[in-house]
Amino acid sequence: MTIASTSHEDVLAQGQAEYACVTRNLSVAYRDELILRNVDLRVPRGVVMGVVGPNGAGKSTLIKAMLGLVKPLTGTTEFFGRPLAKVRQRVGYMPQSATVDWDFPTTVQDVVLMGTYGSLGWLRRPGKAERARAMAAMAQTGIADLASRQIGELSGGQRQRVFLARALVQSPDLFFMDEPFQGVDAKSQQAIVGVLHTLREQGKTVVIVHHDLMTVRDYCDHVTLLNRRVVASGPAADAFTKEAIRTTYDVTDDDGFLDSLAFVS
Amino acid sequence: MTFVAGTALLAVVTALACALPGVFVVLRKDSMLVDAISHAVLPGIVVGYFLTRDLESPLLIVGAALAGLLVAVGSEWLCRTGLLTGDAPQGLVFPALFSAGVILVTTNFANIHLDTHAVLVGDLNLAAWDQLTVGGVSIGPTYLYVMLAVLGFDCAFLAVSYSRLKVTTFDPQFAASVGVRTGVVNTAFMFVVSLTVTAAFHAAGAILVIALMIVPPATAYLLSRRLPTMIMSTAVIAVTGALAGFWLAYLLDAATSAGMAVFFGLIFVAVHVASRLARHLRHRRRAGRTPAPVS
Repeated sequence: MTIASTSHEDVLAQGQAEYACVTRNLSVAYRDELILRNVDLRVPRGVVMGVVGPNGAGKSTLIKAMLGLVKPLTGTTEFFGRPLAKVRQRVGYMPQSATVDWDFPTTVQDVVLMGTYGSLGWLRRPGKAERARAMAAMAQTGIADLASRQIGELSGGQRQRVFLARALVQSPDLFFMDEPFQGVDAKSQQAIVGVLHTLREQGKTVVIVHHDLMTVRDYCDHVTLLNRRVVASGPAADAFTKEAIRTTYDVTDDDGFLDSLAFVS
Repeated sequence: MTFVAGTALLAVVTALACALPGVFVVLRKDSMLVDAISHAVLPGIVVGYFLTRDLESPLLIVGAALAGLLVAVGSEWLCRTGLLTGDAPQGLVFPALFSAGVILVTTNFANIHLDTHAVLVGDLNLAAWDQLTVGGVSIGPTYLYVMLAVLGFDCAFLAVSYSRLKVTTFDPQFAASVGVRTGVVNTAFMFVVSLTVTAAFHAAGAILVIALMIVPPATAYLLSRRLPTMIMSTAVIAVTGALAGFWLAYLLDAATSAGMAVFFGLIFVAVHVASRLARHLRHRRRAGRTPAPVS
């Protein structure tokens, strides 16, 4: 009996080792409009996966539904083989920066420290250890010198880096980033790409919502093409094809849309 | 304690008890919800009076606060049905509750003696009428101690849930993603707001309570770059405005809560104009420092 249960756990452990995140049969609706239909998605461990698709394809909704921030009609998502509630500390989320009020009276360091709140109880305040972690995360994203700035004084790129630092503070194994390159300047873009590379070297898994087809290949080794349903998902070489892009964006060869993507097979 | 000193102290404590939770109400952009709650507690107060026969009973205050919570919970539920948008759900729920309260008052249910004027704007002097005496010495209005208890409760709640309130106010989605139970935090906070509004009802009435709760933090918001600064300035503005407003009403022999509301409004306008002026001057100075373009 002992042997049997061990081998069963071995199988489970193997499953956990293979995928950071598995979503099955996920459907989401806003009122009477179906946003996502029967989405199945597997994110292998240690990859940077880009979720790509046109506006309104349900990219952000997919991430939110996976993280339980939007209630799905159907479907389940497991992280490292377990439900989210059991492994919350291993999963980090970087929302779109446009979703918050940047006039909020708070500083860069305070926002980054919010990343530690999940591990603190109701009464505990961030202490020395949390401050040190926040400082390290700010240094990693290149905003350490902005620590005491009011967040309203930041540029778009700096705001993205604040949100990235806040996600890094939790030191999760799996990151979800919603349009991290939205409205950033060249310097911020470089800083964010640097962090992405570091995370990949550390064996972390990253899922990014991305809209710029030109740079998908530079940042992502896996791609999911999404338009209300999964059109293709897998290693970039297999999934990110002209045929799949044509289907996802509903374009024909005559549109010229695909000409700029000459590098795609 | 003299009647004037006791009433002035009551004004200060009421202003503080309202303004401190008001900080998060303003940051959540939920100001008009306070108005809705302050109207919706009326039937709760009348029914509570029918059961307790004491307008200052803690039971009445908690019961009426639950009625106020109906607005927050009810409008959220209506919102989720997807049939209404914006603040229409609030507009549907609170007039119904308020009118139920008005009907109860006018039909003399429970023999409660609240006149329309007191329901709308409150009456601080009337609220301070009942004096608490210990060993034959007056130690101020009984109502002052009710408001002190509410102030203590508010401060304790804000201290315990400060981090959670902050993160759910700033970025609710992120808060939920790190495991903060945002629904629990929201409901608990709305209950605190509702409780405070109910307790302050006699002093400020259904309409003016919103001035006590919103204007001091809204003024502090203009001045603050950090949350602790905003909370401290809110407290300072609430105390100053309460004393000045009380003094103004005393001089003019006018309604105290209205005097306070007017003074809070004046402080807001002054701070707004001053901060605009300061920003303007800073820009001019910066513009003056940069060399003029060579033509």
